[in-house]
Amino acid sequence: MKTRYWVLLLGAVFLILAGLTALQYFGAKPAAQARVWADGELVRTLDLSEAGEYRIESAAGWNIVTVSGGRAAVTAASCPDGDCIRCGEKNTNPPIVCLPNRVSVQFSDSGDLDGVVR
Amino acid sequence: MKIRVFSLLLALAILLTGCNLLPDAGEQPREVSESSIWAMDTQMDLRLYGDTDGVVMAELTATLNRLDHTLSATAADSALTALNESGWTDDRDIVYLASNARKISEQTGGALDITLLPVSRLWGFTTGSYGVPAAADLEALRDRVGMDKLSLTDESVSVPAGTKLDFGALAKGYAADLCRARMEEAGLSGLLALGGNIQTVGTKPDGSDWIIGVQDPNDAGRYILTLRLTGSKAAVSSGDYQRYFVQDSVRYCHILDPETLAPVRGSLRSVTVVANEGLLADGLSTALYVLGREAGTELWRQRGNFEAVWIEDDGVVWVTPGLKDRIADGDCQVIEP
Repeated sequence: MKTRYWVLLLGAVFLILAGLTALQYFGAKPAAQARVWADGELVRTLDLSEAGEYRIESAAGWNIVTVSGGRAAVTAASCPDGDCIRCGEKNTNPPIVCLPNRVSVQFSDSGDLDGVVR
Repeated sequence: MKIRVFSLLLALAILLTGCNLLPDAGEQPREVSESSIWAMDTQMDLRLYGDTDGVVMAELTATLNRLDHTLSATAADSALTALNESGWTDDRDIVYLASNARKISEQTGGALDITLLPVSRLWGFTTGSYGVPAAADLEALRDRVGMDKLSLTDESVSVPAGTKLDFGALAKGYAADLCRARMEEAGLSGLLALGGNIQTVGTKPDGSDWIIGVQDPNDAGRYILTLRLTGSKAAVSSGDYQRYFVQDSVRYCHILDPETLAPVRGSLRSVTVVANEGLLADGLSTALYVLGREAGTELWRQRGNFEAVWIEDDGVVWVTPGLKDRIADGDCQVIEP
């Protein structure tokens, strides 16, 4: 009985630690911040833990960046294609990019990606 | 006995976890500097390791801004506009690019063509006034396009009146090559994201591979697989999702087929090329998209100086064998050697 107890306990601890290890190696870490660029300039650094709505102006137009639930999304934009809106809510890279308006939302410290070829 | 086995496994788990939990154990000090600029109609993000005084970052920024201006097909006072209006230039960047464009064009059976600017304008890709042009208007441009219109010497490029060049398929790759060369000369490593073009330079400070995502053509916010790249490599994608318009339920992408003078229509959603040189990767990604997967794989078998990822419209991903063990996450089929 005593042996069985220890086997179960050690097995549980092993599984938890193995899970933690797997998360460290393979998991994508959500970003704490998002950096918003317009026309190549860093215009805002957003704390993803604080909900809010931000209007980003660029020479070519405007985008509304909405933060809620630890994620950021472009919820409205003046661009003709709306690709940035279709990216949805995100907290990991690849970044949200609005090429027509020259606006991008990049996520810092998010996972292990160094870049995205697109 | 069971306790001994579990104790052993537990020790192994603690060892594995502990090694990774140690903060930056064994890593070199990271002196990261980052900068972003807008050039060549896209955002360019530069990340340099070891550029303590910011001198190289300033030089790279100056290089990118210089090329942005030189190679602009719309700026009234650019060297490229001067060539397109006068028919002649001795600008060294343009001479170099035109010479390499001809080489890649010859190697790909004419799939890369830098004379299609008037055709692209007719389809509205340079103006935003998209629409399918009349066949007669396209045919009227036939005698103004084609790589045989270029006259090249070691020091100059000339084209006949009406022929206009555009280096959109090569410029960012060329820019990446110049930046990489300067960084290597200065002993720096880093990653350059010139729009969608990725250029890795040297080794990451912790010695690990560069992890590069390949965008999912169906979702701009996701990547379909990741590649582990070692050392200095260029990765460039061409696809139908980058710039396009839809008319009568048909999707027309910005990549034009030099034979038909129309947007490429096929089963490919994108092609990603990985090569040692950015210019080659850039030019080949366009050419391989035009060629399609079968002709593209044949080109790879003949030349072997690049690796590639093809994403089909049914979601199947094909990769060259050199990338098989470089796929960090994602499913793919491997091309037969």
